[in-house]
Amino acid sequence: MAPFNQGNKVKTTKKEKISGYSILIFASFLALFPLFWTFSTSIKNRVDTYTLPPKFFDFTPTFKNYTSLFAIDAFPKIYLNTIFVTVMSTLIVLVIGSLSAYAIARRSSFRGRSSLEALMIAVRALPGIVLLLPLYRLSSYFGLYDSLWALVFIYAGFNLPFAIWLLTSFFKQIPIEIEEAARVDGASNTRMFVKILLPLAMPGIVATGVFIALLSWNEFLIPVIMAGEESKTLPVFVAGFISNRTLDWGPMAAAATIALIPIVIFTIFIQKYLVAGLSSGAVKE
Amino acid sequence: MPKSMKLTRPIGQFTFAAWALLSFTVLIPIVYGIYISFLDIKLSSFLPPQFVGFDNYVSALKAPETWATLKITLTMMALGMLVQIPLGIGLALVLHRNLKGTKVFSSILITPMLLTPVAVGLTFRFMFDTDLGIINWLIGLFGVETINWLGQQSTGILAVVIVDSWQSVPFVMLLIVAALGSISPSLYEAASIDGASARQTFWKVTFPLITPTLLVVVMIKIMDFLKLFDTLFMLTRGGPGNETTTLGLWTYKTGFIFLEFSRAAALGVLIMIITAPVLLLWRRSTREIK
Repeated sequence: MAPFNQGNKVKTTKKEKISGYSILIFASFLALFPLFWTFSTSIKNRVDTYTLPPKFFDFTPTFKNYTSLFAIDAFPKIYLNTIFVTVMSTLIVLVIGSLSAYAIARRSSFRGRSSLEALMIAVRALPGIVLLLPLYRLSSYFGLYDSLWALVFIYAGFNLPFAIWLLTSFFKQIPIEIEEAARVDGASNTRMFVKILLPLAMPGIVATGVFIALLSWNEFLIPVIMAGEESKTLPVFVAGFISNRTLDWGPMAAAATIALIPIVIFTIFIQKYLVAGLSSGAVKE
Repeated sequence: MPKSMKLTRPIGQFTFAAWALLSFTVLIPIVYGIYISFLDIKLSSFLPPQFVGFDNYVSALKAPETWATLKITLTMMALGMLVQIPLGIGLALVLHRNLKGTKVFSSILITPMLLTPVAVGLTFRFMFDTDLGIINWLIGLFGVETINWLGQQSTGILAVVIVDSWQSVPFVMLLIVAALGSISPSLYEAASIDGASARQTFWKVTFPLITPTLLVVVMIKIMDFLKLFDTLFMLTRGGPGNETTTLGLWTYKTGFIFLEFSRAAALGVLIMIITAPVLLLWRRSTREIK
């Protein structure tokens, strides 16, 4: 599906242009202001934060909030935990997801297809808490509470359906004739998948990986229930600031900024994949 | 399916790993969740669990909190759609004009939906702060009195809806942009030849053609508001009291704060029952879209 109407340009009058740009500029301001505000709070001294009217630019920046954040002993570990869980679960999702998406894209029916789809829809529709209550008890029973690998597999399971939907639409775009030619040469299923289809589907796999990594990085409900001190992730750490009696906005904003910065940098670099992926996968999400 | 498909060999086993993963993370938890909803597990007690039949369901259905939180969930859902769908359509129509710089604007506009909800919740909590928040300062400039946004039900619900909208409008917008892109321009030409006004064109041409996408949006929003957790948890934690607690957050509180584990599992099963019709509709609608 085309993200924007390529070619079929709608004729615009001058009035439409002015109103269009005003709306776009205002909406962009609303979209970006909270980001700016978080960042600016994170580099303000306490006196500059706790004052009205708010200070937008006329303050002396400080990195005090960041140094106090990095001084927390557990912080490096929490950051590494988040990266580990994000990378591992994304890789698992991509491997398992590509295999399934290929099967779903190429066969309208096979044994277990409809029950697999039912499970996928269940993940998409059910609130996580419904699945996490039993998962919490099961994992405590098997000694998997507060384990990074338990997090990796639960993240992967919860994100797999979205990945399969996205990847299926990418695999469907690969012409079947390419496969037929390989069939004639006697290639096996596995060989054909690895040698021919995977390279062709790579842009789609990268786009999907970007999304799954974002979802994993942002995930809160799974680790808040399944992670203790050992496997704590960044969103749980950021949320932890709120439960303290004294609300100190500076370090909080610094923690939020640290969670958001990788996303902002990441999205600037993968802009091209982003819009394509969002619009092709969005309908099926 | 082309007839050449006969040439290919069975590939159902390619989905085996997906089956295995989803069995452990979805199928077994669902079955086990139903099982524990018939026991009397409390996380605060170490007594061996007893089978109690439908007791947890009866007490869950009798508890006023269940109905109150369901009502709050539905209120947020309705308000959220009322805000997000018109805004999403409006922005999509502007992007569809394809003005110079549309690509840059669209990348800026989709940023909110990619951000960590917990961090977003934290930021907005600061912005909604009664004494120091920039929102109260801003409305103060227009002479509006200070509002205790997160400290009462009505404005608390409104604040949650505003934050969710900030993150969700871009998603609605993207879906509508894609739907608009697939409308044939000849239809608009025909409309303008017939002398239709912009409003007539929207209601007679555009709107009917994006209706299938809008139905998908409505269903996604229903599911998302049942799932709503992160931003709500950060903004109000469902408070004051349970005044902004949704059914999902109530299930969490029942299980992990009041430690009534089996009661929470029963609430979970009730949520499954509520979502079932949405699931069936969802399945049908995605087939039609394809």
